[in-house]
Amino acid sequence: MQYSQKVLDHFMHPHNVGKMENPDASATEGSPSCGDQVTVFLKIDKETKIIEDISFLSYGCASNIATASIITDLAKGKSLEDAKKITYEDAMEALDGLPPVKVHCSVLAADTLQTAISNYEIAHGLKEVPNFGKETILAELKKIIYPQVGTDIVTLKMVKYVGFSDGEVLIDMNMMNFDTWRENVVEEINEHLEKYPEVKKIQINFP
Amino acid sequence: MKSGSVYLDNCVTSPMAPEVLDAMMPYFSERFWFPGSFYSTAESTNDALSGFAHTVAAAIGARDEEIHFTSGGTIANNIAIKGLAGSAQRGHVICSVVDYPDLLTNAAWLEKQGFEVTYLPADSEARIDLAALKQAIRPDTFLFMTTIVNHVVGTIQPMKEISEILKAADHKIYFHADAGQAFGKMPLLVDDYGIDMMSISAHKIHGPQGIGALYVRKGLRLAQSIHGIKRADNLQPGGLSIALIAGFAKAVEMNFADLEGSIRQLRELSDHLYVRLLEKIDHIELNGPMGEERAAHNINVSIDYIEGESMAMMLDMHGITVATGSACASQGLKPSYVLMAIGKNHVQSHGSMKFTISRYTTREELDFTVDKLAEITTELRSRSPLYNAAKNQEK
Repeated sequence: MQYSQKVLDHFMHPHNVGKMENPDASATEGSPSCGDQVTVFLKIDKETKIIEDISFLSYGCASNIATASIITDLAKGKSLEDAKKITYEDAMEALDGLPPVKVHCSVLAADTLQTAISNYEIAHGLKEVPNFGKETILAELKKIIYPQVGTDIVTLKMVKYVGFSDGEVLIDMNMMNFDTWRENVVEEINEHLEKYPEVKKIQINFP
Repeated sequence: MKSGSVYLDNCVTSPMAPEVLDAMMPYFSERFWFPGSFYSTAESTNDALSGFAHTVAAAIGARDEEIHFTSGGTIANNIAIKGLAGSAQRGHVICSVVDYPDLLTNAAWLEKQGFEVTYLPADSEARIDLAALKQAIRPDTFLFMTTIVNHVVGTIQPMKEISEILKAADHKIYFHADAGQAFGKMPLLVDDYGIDMMSISAHKIHGPQGIGALYVRKGLRLAQSIHGIKRADNLQPGGLSIALIAGFAKAVEMNFADLEGSIRQLRELSDHLYVRLLEKIDHIELNGPMGEERAAHNINVSIDYIEGESMAMMLDMHGITVATGSACASQGLKPSYVLMAIGKNHVQSHGSMKFTISRYTTREELDFTVDKLAEITTELRSRSPLYNAAKNQEK
């Protein structure tokens, strides 16, 4: 595994690591079964809406720990509006890149930060709980990285069709049966969508 | 501490003994000849080759002519399985879900060729299910194959019981054994278990890489799966590296001079490692069986709440090489199929660490490893949401 020196530095000496007592908001994403889980805690100034303090916990590999560490660095001191613009690409850039099979770790870190911010906004009446629909599904699919190249499956045009009705998600995928990553991608799709109570069934079709 | 200064991944490959290198040197230089022809250089190579085959044969209770040198254990497994299947033409094969990838990928290939394969389940300590073996035998079953010592958790398969079940069948079922992890780590005479074919490898017992052997019982004819010129009576055609074979024989000679003693030494070291792990790290459990049913060189544990790639990388920074069953550390992002097959969950697989020792391993190295791993465990647990959640529950 070829990690950059920055990844190794953040892995060995992560910034802002540890559980926060009485955070204003927090979020946990990922699952131990996939081998990575991240929790992000936020302390937010009520007046200025600036992230005063941030910390994380991580169960996972070196890149998981490093991306969580860098995401907290990027968000600390920023306003919520600015922090909402932080993407997994920003995290990757700040770490001098990640191996393609590890890009999903940076997505998880960025995602957890965004969920924590969203949880804060919902709790403080700054936004409504979003309605679940096709857009939510697409947004989730955009977080799934095809490990071979390190780009998400929507950008790679691997998703041909997305439908949602009566609690059933229907996804047509453009992945051949000899694709060695198909099982990983299916697992990830299920993991990303099962957490929504609106989703009762997930049907994934292949050519 | 430099890379690999404490090397505990000996089941993948082991350091070559200096004596082995010395034994090979003449064959890399002045004695570079090939066997086969009538002239004196080739004759002397023939003689040397016979001597090396004899050394290897004696170690497993075989006849000299039953030893076929190959370019490693994987080639030996392929020649055996594809060769027997080629002779049988059609029929049924039995192996198990915890076998070494050499066997499982060959089984998958056989299925594509129209053979039928039964994959036996294994118990929680990776022992294959003997009742399922009895049930799986069909009139057209021609091959049973197994990995004698499991490559992940070190389980020694119940060879006597297997051999009795195969013998009790109403027709001949050939028994192929992958002895990659077993050879030199346990007493293993082919006649004791009715083994018909067995693959062994040099570099797991401090021999050179790139050389192994296939034992084939006299009278058993395998279809040729690799074709080419034969310079010696050997199933793998083409040129053979006499130097590597010389090194292989030397490694066998050294390993088997006092097999019981070397097993005892490995057992003492691995017991010491396991006791120290239990002393220094809590929430840790052994994967695979304890005691005599486990190969003497293998300790595999799962450390709760943390992930193996992180542990292995931090150990690596201290110069310690250890393997993990974590999906994050695998090329295909998959957890260890062996651990999953014996009922461990994802977290136990992600947190698994495999230590395989050799006769060059010292107690000091093991103590250093455990001390570092204990520090690393504390550090990674302080970062882990799973550990924090578990601690909260305890409160």
